[in-house]
Amino acid sequence: MELVSEPSSVEAVHLLTVGPFPRRMAEDLIIGLSREVRVPCRLLEETTEIETQILPDRAQVHADHLLRQLEALPIERGIKLVGVTLHDMAIPIFTFVFGRSRLGGPATVVSLARLRPEFYGLPADPAVTMRRGVAEILHEIGHNLELKHCRNYSCLMFFSHDVETVDLRGMSFCASCAPLLPAGFLAPGRNRY
Amino acid sequence: MTSAERTTQQSAILIVDDEPIVQQSLAEWFRSDGYEVDSAGSAKEALRKVAEGRYDIALVDIKMPGMDGLELQSRLAEVEPDLTVIMITAYASVDSAVQALKAGAFDYVTKPFDPDELSHLVRRAIEHRSLRFENIRLKESLDAIAGAPTIIGDSPGMRHVLDLVEAVSETDATVLIRGDSGTGKELVARAIHAKSGRRYNPMVVVNCGALAEGILESELFGHEKGAFTGAQYRHKGKFEMADGGTIFLDEIGAVSQRVQVELLRVLEDKVVTRVGGQTPISVDFRVIAATNQDLEAMVEAGDFREDLFWRLNVFTVEIPPLRERPEDIIALAHHFLEQYCHAMNRPHSNITPEALEVLGSYSWPGNVRELENAIERAIVVGKECVVRSEDLPVRVHGSTEPVVNGSSLAEVERAHILSVLNAMEWNISKSAEALGVDRGTLYNKIKRYGLQRPPDGAG
Ligand SMILES: [Zn+2]
Ligand SMILES: [Zn+2]
Repeated sequence: MELVSEPSSVEAVHLLTVGPFPRRMAEDLIIGLSREVRVPCRLLEETTEIETQILPDRAQVHADHLLRQLEALPIERGIKLVGVTLHDMAIPIFTFVFGRSRLGGPATVVSLARLRPEFYGLPADPAVTMRRGVAEILHEIGHNLELKHCRNYSCLMFFSHDVETVDLRGMSFCASCAPLLPAGFLAPGRNRY
Repeated sequence: MTSAERTTQQSAILIVDDEPIVQQSLAEWFRSDGYEVDSAGSAKEALRKVAEGRYDIALVDIKMPGMDGLELQSRLAEVEPDLTVIMITAYASVDSAVQALKAGAFDYVTKPFDPDELSHLVRRAIEHRSLRFENIRLKESLDAIAGAPTIIGDSPGMRHVLDLVEAVSETDATVLIRGDSGTGKELVARAIHAKSGRRYNPMVVVNCGALAEGILESELFGHEKGAFTGAQYRHKGKFEMADGGTIFLDEIGAVSQRVQVELLRVLEDKVVTRVGGQTPISVDFRVIAATNQDLEAMVEAGDFREDLFWRLNVFTVEIPPLRERPEDIIALAHHFLEQYCHAMNRPHSNITPEALEVLGSYSWPGNVRELENAIERAIVVGKECVVRSEDLPVRVHGSTEPVVNGSSLAEVERAHILSVLNAMEWNISKSAEALGVDRGTLYNKIKRYGLQRPPDGAG
């Protein structure tokens, strides 16, 4: 990808579902995202057939292959494209990944498969799945906006390899990371009581 | 953080694998986690790099053409005895990994890697090396982000709270925070944690009232893969996540009798066993619990275990409701105004004297949370960034007249329930919590008194 200047500008977030994905869930993600960011978030119609590759012997979708498919789409400057899927994702050397993106890239891919409480045998809780999904999407968009991982465990950019850490992280960028995002990207935060 | 600073606090990892894709993916992965990473495609190259550079950990593939991982391990031990070696193996060749362990390797991982396992393994290796220098630097850099939240309030009541926070944060004592809904119990817990010696580790929040019994157990203590039908993957509990830090048990009064027993055991032994698990995991945590319920009365009624009550009731911080400290209202209002104007990119602003008057004479049943909502709303609906009395919610105006004038008990109850419902924007759970009743009771009362949600826009 040749992204030359102004890599950290974002005017809109576009969400594209990959594979079977309930419409309602996608809309909930848009609502959840819109609460956290101030730029418009839009659900794209699934007009483009996105190709997925299954990792040999694993019944998991190759996340980096999927990311490359998304990056190859015509993405306008200022748009961050988010591919979401219910497929369990992995890459050859890791048993699973929640999401993938490249620093400064135009697209990210996030799987909700392991963000669902059901995956761990817990009762389904769509609100929890949504919260985690939105958090993971924001984390990956953070990478697209040049943010690296953060040492602050309560920051969205903290590196998490399990869903428990995703929950621990919360829903906001820390005081060191937030200023690195483009001005006007984030919606105002609330206090906790 | 400048790059020079980063270098001094990072651990350096050398990846030795003949497959470029493994090298690349691992290098990128560790680098993004803040490590300094280098890679070598052969044992020979690895030996050269270790002789020249400084590495803390080497991840070595057992199977490589030429000199294999096992031989490399013994050679590395000669060149750099302090290097921690972790073997990479395909799951079919675990035998040779065991051989490597006998020869002094720290541990081994199988390909493909479980990201969680790999990350823990490397962290454990670093802790094992006790790189004190790194830890000190890391802590210094964390100090900036582990700052205590600001608690606004200069009333005698809040100054007392702040004194207590100051005093108790220097100890590791269990704290019980009491106060009405919306008074900021979590904020006080965060302040205690952030001022304590545990501030570099997480504060884990559990809202005990929000979870059903079976789930609460799994949430608190975790469960193993296969612990019950559908548990195809292990789940870590909140106590485990709080290791080294603080666990904040909100709405502790909502915990069932059975979980109370478990909880007491964990608090006493500092050991958790995941549901369906065999291995006890020892955890180091501090407990801060919070409630808006009358725990003493619950003990009396047999709803709350007395032994657990005494375990928790070591040091109590009582947060007064907002109506008992009217002098804080104005300071808080200005604080929220500044915060929201800043967040919404609005110019600096003020509150009109009439609005201040209205704010000061309201009883704030929803406490600080309600005040924050009112200010936020006023900024959103207001024309400029000036809070005028007409921008405040209707209910805030309403209560300048005494609600209870000569009424019957039922009328007082009705008025109070209505004002709490309005204050909580008709969120039944929150309102029930504020009123200290369960949701069912609240629904019944709403029905009995014929209460109705005002149309949108009326507050
Ligand atoms: Zn990341
Ligand atoms: Zn951060």
